[in-house]
Amino acid sequence: MGLAEPITSYASVAAWAAGLSRQWGGDPLAEDPDKLAALAAFCEFLDQDPDELLAFCFLRRRATGDRFASKQRREQLNGKLKQFVAASGLQGIEARRRRNHIISFLSHNGVLI
Amino acid sequence: MDFLKVLGNRRSIRFFDPERPVEREKVQKILEAMRIASCAMNAHWLRAVVVYRDDLDPETFERLKLPVAGVVMELAPVHIYCYGDPSVIAKDHGASPKQLIDIGALNPSHGWTHAFVDEFVWPQVLEPLSSSPNYPAAMSFDNGGCATQGLLMAVNLGLGACWTAFEVEAAKEIFAIPDDWVPHYVLNVGYPLESPGQRPRPPFETLYFEGRVGRPFARDEAVVKDLETEGMFQAPAPLPGRKDEVRRISRKLGLAE
Repeated sequence: MGLAEPITSYASVAAWAAGLSRQWGGDPLAEDPDKLAALAAFCEFLDQDPDELLAFCFLRRRATGDRFASKQRREQLNGKLKQFVAASGLQGIEARRRRNHIISFLSHNGVLI
Repeated sequence: MDFLKVLGNRRSIRFFDPERPVEREKVQKILEAMRIASCAMNAHWLRAVVVYRDDLDPETFERLKLPVAGVVMELAPVHIYCYGDPSVIAKDHGASPKQLIDIGALNPSHGWTHAFVDEFVWPQVLEPLSSSPNYPAAMSFDNGGCATQGLLMAVNLGLGACWTAFEVEAAKEIFAIPDDWVPHYVLNVGYPLESPGQRPRPPFETLYFEGRVGRPFARDEAVVKDLETEGMFQAPAPLPGRKDEVRRISRKLGLAE
């Protein structure tokens, strides 16, 4: 199932675009369409939109309600990412590039898996 | 390499050539530099386990990595896991200071005799220290100095290095670490692919004082100039083209942007 909205309309994607632009200048998402294509494909693989995918990585502490990046959730997502790349049929550097696009999306949203 | 250049050249290197192995003799020189460092009572708390990345099977290696250290550990061919062995003092029972007396490093001129060790140093300093809550901090301070000598030796040998944390429980099991050893950090070592500038530091006067806290140690700009001339102070980060360098290396190594 595809995304309900254009992928660039999600807050997490806007944060990714802003982070990439601050780091490298220009508009890396526009300059390298593979980045958004990889994220869209991963979202489809998970049947989640980008904001949901990102939200999955965070939980709230029962005692305080504070949000925190869950180690277990990050590990789960890392496992899903490996499955996604394996399912893509890509090999070598192409497989690594696809994985790195997702890692870039996550890290520019504050999640390191 | 000139000592001041070694100090000035040191950076925490995070991009290594993953395919270029580190020669065994260079690893030994790093350990030898650690071993001769200044050390309270000549106690030698530091222990290190050298691990070659490519000798680990992928599952085992994966268990050792923390997310924030993962890429550094993947790129560095050699990892030196550093620990403190707190049992040293109890086992030594004052033998090390007596050895220092015997070789003339500690002398009666400063109050050092075997009897002084037996009557005072062991029962009133060392033995209480080894059960004090401050003991791990004291041991770690010493070990930091020893480990830094190893780091500087790596720089001297043209290598890059970076301290990172690691998964302590996994390392304990995989490397047969004794229960009482205190984990410090792992020194990741390899040939550097990056040439970054010197990092920003807090203003000198906010760190160092003269006489009492709050009275800054006045910094003499002539001394600063001397150290610049001798290579200890170098061009500050970011150097021109740094982002291009990072992007080029990241793409070459297949890392995320």
